[in-house]
Amino acid sequence: MTSLPANPPSPTVPAAPVRTGALRALQVFGRSFGTVWSNGKARVGLVILAVFVLVAIFAPVLAPYSPHANDFTPDAGGSSAHLLGTTGAGEDVLSQLLYGARVSIVVGFVAGGLSTLVAVAVGLSWGYLRNWLGEVVNFVVNLFLVVPGLPLMIIIAAYLQNGGLPVIVLVVVITGWAWGARVLRAQTQSLRSRDFVTAALFSGESASRVVFREILPNMTSMIAGSFFGAATAAVLAESGLSFLGLGDPFTVSWGSMLYWAQNSNALLTGQWVLLFAPGLCVALLATAMTLVNFGVDGLSNPRLREGNGR
Amino acid sequence: MSLLDVKNLSVVYEPRGAEPTMAVKDASFRIEEGEFVGLVGESGSGKSTLGFALTRLAKPPARIAGGRILFDGTDVAALDSEQLRRQRHGGFAMVLQSGMNALNPVRTVGHHFADIFAAHGHVPRQRRRSRAVELLEKVELTGAVLDRYPGELSGGMRQRVSIALALSLEPRLMVFDEPTTALDVMVQHAVMRTIRELQEREGFTAVLISHDLGVVLESTARVMVMKDGVIVEDAPSREIFERPQHAYTRTLLGHYADPRAEVVELPGLPADGRRTAPAGGGRGRAAAQAAIVVEDVSRVYPGRRRGDTPVAAVREVSFRLEPGQSMALVGQSGSGKSTLAKLITGVEQPSSGTISFGDLRVDRLRRRKLHKLHADVQMVFQDPYAALNPLHTVEYALTRPVVNFTGRSGADARRRVLELLEIVGLTPVEQFAARLPHELSGGQRQRVVIARALAADPQVLIADEPVSMLDVSLRAGVLALLRDLREDFGVSLLYITHDLLSARMVTDRIMVLHEGRVVESGPTAQVLRFPEHDYTTRLLDSLPQPARRFAAAGSDGDAA
Repeated sequence: MTSLPANPPSPTVPAAPVRTGALRALQVFGRSFGTVWSNGKARVGLVILAVFVLVAIFAPVLAPYSPHANDFTPDAGGSSAHLLGTTGAGEDVLSQLLYGARVSIVVGFVAGGLSTLVAVAVGLSWGYLRNWLGEVVNFVVNLFLVVPGLPLMIIIAAYLQNGGLPVIVLVVVITGWAWGARVLRAQTQSLRSRDFVTAALFSGESASRVVFREILPNMTSMIAGSFFGAATAAVLAESGLSFLGLGDPFTVSWGSMLYWAQNSNALLTGQWVLLFAPGLCVALLATAMTLVNFGVDGLSNPRLREGNGR
Repeated sequence: MSLLDVKNLSVVYEPRGAEPTMAVKDASFRIEEGEFVGLVGESGSGKSTLGFALTRLAKPPARIAGGRILFDGTDVAALDSEQLRRQRHGGFAMVLQSGMNALNPVRTVGHHFADIFAAHGHVPRQRRRSRAVELLEKVELTGAVLDRYPGELSGGMRQRVSIALALSLEPRLMVFDEPTTALDVMVQHAVMRTIRELQEREGFTAVLISHDLGVVLESTARVMVMKDGVIVEDAPSREIFERPQHAYTRTLLGHYADPRAEVVELPGLPADGRRTAPAGGGRGRAAAQAAIVVEDVSRVYPGRRRGDTPVAAVREVSFRLEPGQSMALVGQSGSGKSTLAKLITGVEQPSSGTISFGDLRVDRLRRRKLHKLHADVQMVFQDPYAALNPLHTVEYALTRPVVNFTGRSGADARRRVLELLEIVGLTPVEQFAARLPHELSGGQRQRVVIARALAADPQVLIADEPVSMLDVSLRAGVLALLRDLREDFGVSLLYITHDLLSARMVTDRIMVLHEGRVVESGPTAQVLRFPEHDYTTRLLDSLPQPARRFAAAGSDGDAA
C-alpha cells in the first residue's frame, strides 16, 4: 500500500516529474553538442568524422566489389572499373579502402572507449583515495607511463600473435589508459576539495554517490577529451601494428593495406595510390578527432568560448 | 583644465553568443589634479569596468561604445599601443585587486623594478637599486624585500610591492581597484592607511574603487556612487556621509553601524536589545537538546616541507555551546576559526583534546559514523558560489539531505523541500526548486545553502562567514534569516566571522580567537563595547569608521 500522507496534500505539491532526469540529460547533451559545433575547427572535425562513420556503416553498399575478391588484373592503374586501381594480389583498392574504414572506426571507438573507461575508474578512485593504496596505484600508473608505448605494444602483440582485432584492442587499452588516469586523478583531487563536495558529505551522501553524482558529472568535458585523445591514439596504433604485420594480415584494414603495399614494393611498381590512399585516410581520421577535441576544450573553459579574447 | 575629463562614456560587454550588456552608461565626470576620489558600488555596478576603461585596460569582450576620456587633454581611446606604453611613465597606473598575485613568482622583487626601469629608461642603471629602495620605503617596506621572491612575502606585503611598482613610473593618476579586498581585516586597515598617507605626501591624483562605502568615506575627498552602470551620486565625502541625496546611497550608508554602540540597528535587522529573552515558543521540532563541549582542543599541522616547524592552528581551546545559544567566533584570517569549525563538524580530527556532542565523541568519529553527527550538526558554507554543485538543481541539492537524514521519500520528501524553500524565503517555491545554481543570485544561493543545512532538522548550525561573499545590501537579509531560524526552531548557532558588526547583530556570546587561542569571551554586547584584551581593541579599531573621521576632524575634515 502506498503511504499517502495523512493530511490532504496541498495542491502545490505534485509529484516530481519522472522524466526530468532523462530530459535534462538530453538537454545537457544538446547544449554540449552546440558548444562543440560552434567551434570552427571542431565543426570540420565532426563533419569528417561523420563521413568516415557513414562510410564504415554503408561500406557494403558503397563498395563496388568485395574487398577479398582477387580475380582482377593485378597491379592495374586507375580505370573506370577500378577507380583507384588494383593491388598486387588483384583486389580492388577502393573497396578495400571503404571496408578498411570499418576496422579503424571500430578499433578507434572500442579501444578508445575501453581505455577511457579504465582511465575514469582508476582516475576517480585514485583521486578520491587518500591512503597507502593511492601510492600503489601511483606506482603502477608510473610504470605504464614510463615504458615507451610502441615497443610495449609490439612485444604484447607479438606474444599474442594472430589474435585479430580483439588483441589489437586489448593492446591499445593496456598501453593507453595511464595518461588519461593521471589527468582525471588530478581533476578529481581538485574537485574533491571544493565546497560542494564537502557539502555533499554534510548531506549524508555515501562515498560512491559523492564520486558518481557530484564529482564525475563535473568532469564530462575532460572525459570526452580523454576519449577522443585515446581514440586517435588507438586508430594510429591499429594501423601501425597492422603495418608492421602484427595484426591479422588477412583482415582488410588501412594498416594491412599498407603492409601488403610495402611487401609488394608498390612504390617501385608505380602503385603510389596503394600507399597514399590508406595513409591519407589514417591521417584524416586522426586529424578529425583531434579537431573535435578543440571544441571539447570549450566545454569546460567558458573563456575559450568568448572567442576574440585570444 | 581637469586632469581627467570623462564625457558620456559608455562601455558595453559583447560576449559571443549572448546578449550584449551595458556595463557603464553615459558616465560624465571630471577629476582635478591632486584629487582623491572614491568610486563605490556593489558587484555588477560597473565600477571596475569604468576603472579599466580609464586606464585603457578594457579588453574584449568589453568595448568603449561611446563618449570620450580626456587625460590631460588627450583622448585616451585614440592612443596606439606604443603611445600607450610610453605614457605609462608619468601617465596613469592601476593597482589591481589581485595585485598581490600580479607578481611573477619566479623573479625577485628587485627584478620587477629592474624590468620597469629598463622598459622606460627613466632611471640610470647605477641609481636603480637605490631608487627601488626609495620606492619601497614609501610603502613602508625595507630594501631587504628586493632579494625576496613574491612567494616569500605575505599578501599585504605583496600588495604594497605592487603599489610601489605602480609608483615607480611617477604616475599622475593612480587607479586603485579594490586594493585591500582580498586582504585580511587588520592588514586592510594598514594598507589603506599607507595609501592615504602616500596620496597626501606625493600629491598624485587617485581613484579608489571599492564596494565598501566605509573604506572610501574614510579616505577620499569626493565620492561617486554607481548603480547598474550609472553614476547616481557625485558629491564631497562629507556631504555623502551627512546628507546622502540618492536613495541607493542612503541604503548603502544604512548598512554601516558601529558594533560598539549601545544599540545597533541595520535596515531589516532591528536592534539587538529585544533578543535577551530566550528563544521560546517556536515550533520546537528541532530544538537543541545537547551541548557541544570542546575541551583543551589543539590542532597541529605538520610543516609543509620536511624540517619546517609544525603549525599550531588551534591551541588549547575550551568552550561550551549550550543548546539554543548563539555564539560568535571572531578573529582575523589565520586565527584558527575555520579549523575549529572543521574539528567540531568532524571533517578533521584534533591533535589533542576532546570534542563531544551529547554522548557522541566527535574527535573519535570514523568517517562512516559522520552521518550520525551530521544529522544534528550542519554547516553553512562561506562561499555560496562554490558550495552548490553547478550541475544539480536546487531541488536535488535539498532532496538529498531530506532523504538521507529524515527518511522521507517521493512526494513526502518533495513537500519537505518546498517547505524548506518557503522557510528561507525563496518563493514561488516551485520555480526555485527547478533552478540551477547559475540562475540564482549570490544571496539566493546562500539561502539555498542555509535551506540545505536545515534539511536534516539539525540541532546545531555552524555558519562559516556566511555573508562575507555577499554585497552589503544582501547581507542583512541572510543575517535576519539566521537570527529568525534560531528563534523559531531553537537551534544553536556557532557564527564564525571576522565581521564584528554582524557578530553583534546575530549572537549573544562571543569568543575572540588570536593565533589559535581564545583571548577574550563573554556576552557579545559587553565584549564589543568594553573590550578588555588588547587584540579585541585592535580588531575593533581596524573597522572603517567614517563617523570618527568627520567627527574628529571637525569642519576642516576634507581639507586633507
